[in-house]
Amino acid sequence: MAGEFQSGMQCAEVEALLAEALDGTLQGSQLAAFEAHQQGCASCRTMVEEAQAGMHWLKGLDEAEPPRNLVHNILAQTIGALPSEHAMPAPRPEGWVEKLKARLAPIFAPVATPRFAMSFGMAFFSITMLLGIAGFHMSDLRHWDLSSHGVMKTYYDTQARIIRYYENMRLVYEIESRVHDLKRAATPATNQQQPQQEAPATNPKNPPKSELRRDNQPQTPNHSQAQGQPKLAASAAMVPAETPQARRQGSHLVTSMGALNRRLV
Amino acid sequence: MDDNQAVNALVRRCVSGDAAAWQEIVQQYNRRIYNICYRFSGSPDDASDLTQEVFIKMYRTLSTFDTTRASFMTWVTTVTRNLLVDHFRKGKYDRITDSLDATPGNQEDGLTLAEQLEDRNPSPETRLRSQETQKLVHEALKRLSPELREAVILRDLQDLDYKDIAKVLNVPEGTVKSRINRGRTELARLLQRTYKQAS
Repeated sequence: MAGEFQSGMQCAEVEALLAEALDGTLQGSQLAAFEAHQQGCASCRTMVEEAQAGMHWLKGLDEAEPPRNLVHNILAQTIGALPSEHAMPAPRPEGWVEKLKARLAPIFAPVATPRFAMSFGMAFFSITMLLGIAGFHMSDLRHWDLSSHGVMKTYYDTQARIIRYYENMRLVYEIESRVHDLKRAATPATNQQQPQQEAPATNPKNPPKSELRRDNQPQTPNHSQAQGQPKLAASAAMVPAETPQARRQGSHLVTSMGALNRRLV
Repeated sequence: MDDNQAVNALVRRCVSGDAAAWQEIVQQYNRRIYNICYRFSGSPDDASDLTQEVFIKMYRTLSTFDTTRASFMTWVTTVTRNLLVDHFRKGKYDRITDSLDATPGNQEDGLTLAEQLEDRNPSPETRLRSQETQKLVHEALKRLSPELREAVILRDLQDLDYKDIAKVLNVPEGTVKSRINRGRTELARLLQRTYKQAS
């Protein structure tokens, strides 16, 4: 039989036991049969010698030294860069503050950036500066009445103040006066004479309201001017009736209004 | 507590989210995984990239490690080997078929494989002392087929026993031994033939 020798071991068995033989774990009768087979079989002897040489070559190789930054790169790519894809769950926070932080962190993640913090800081600084210029101080807050009645009162006070400020503005007052004059100048003389004709028919003891107003108007102080300054707008009593002179004045007023509008625009 | 229990405890800590435990695992196993990748791919740069990929894969699949089925070392080696095989199948690390006249590392002014084998001291122990001889064996190892290469790497360089190698390679123990024998024999023949040509 091919491959079978006097030791009773076949070549295939030698090959099967070769690894153990080289490891030194082959003992007893198996080791004796293995060595006896090699004495009579040149091919198996060569095979054993080659395998032994190859094992020595391989075991003589030194361990390769990993790059210095290998561990750092691995940690950066796992713990540093892949927290969301981490198969391991993150440790659960124990206190309620930690739980709240853990819950809010993903929400504020987009704005929790240095750029946003800088923008927010600049905006806060600008608003604070503007409030300071406007005369608003944070210390005034404690004097505020925050009840519903107080809020409404504050609202109406503020509204009245704004309206008063607007109406007392010199420019607004001038525009209103000129528009009023223009209307009166453009009104036909018949419309103006009619009240004069009807006037004798009325009771002198009960003059019409328009007449009363006309009488009272010169006494009404003009808030937009100080004493001694010329009046910016003529009162209704000072506007003459429809005359050529009035028409010229009307056209002059229209021209002035146009110029005023252009200046405003 | 033996080594296996200590490693299993480390893995449990890691799965529960302990970053320090993961760092410890990386510190313990990076050298071993790097060496497997280096001897299999033959290139330090490829080995570094492959080692990082192995750890990323481990990081993502660590929770699937079953302590009752295999030791952590076997699991780590299996992950490494599977990733190497995947890369090999993609053709990235194809079998090198350099001729004996080719210089290692494609250096034009370097010594050929036959020239490097020419040594005044013929004993393997003496030759292995030199850095050039180390490169020579490394180049010869790269020329083995992947099946034989991985078997001898796991046995002769990583000192895994046959049972663990059989688990890693998913083949019977007899096949493992046969591959190891053939791998060693082929490597020795390759080096001896080169040496004869040089002399």
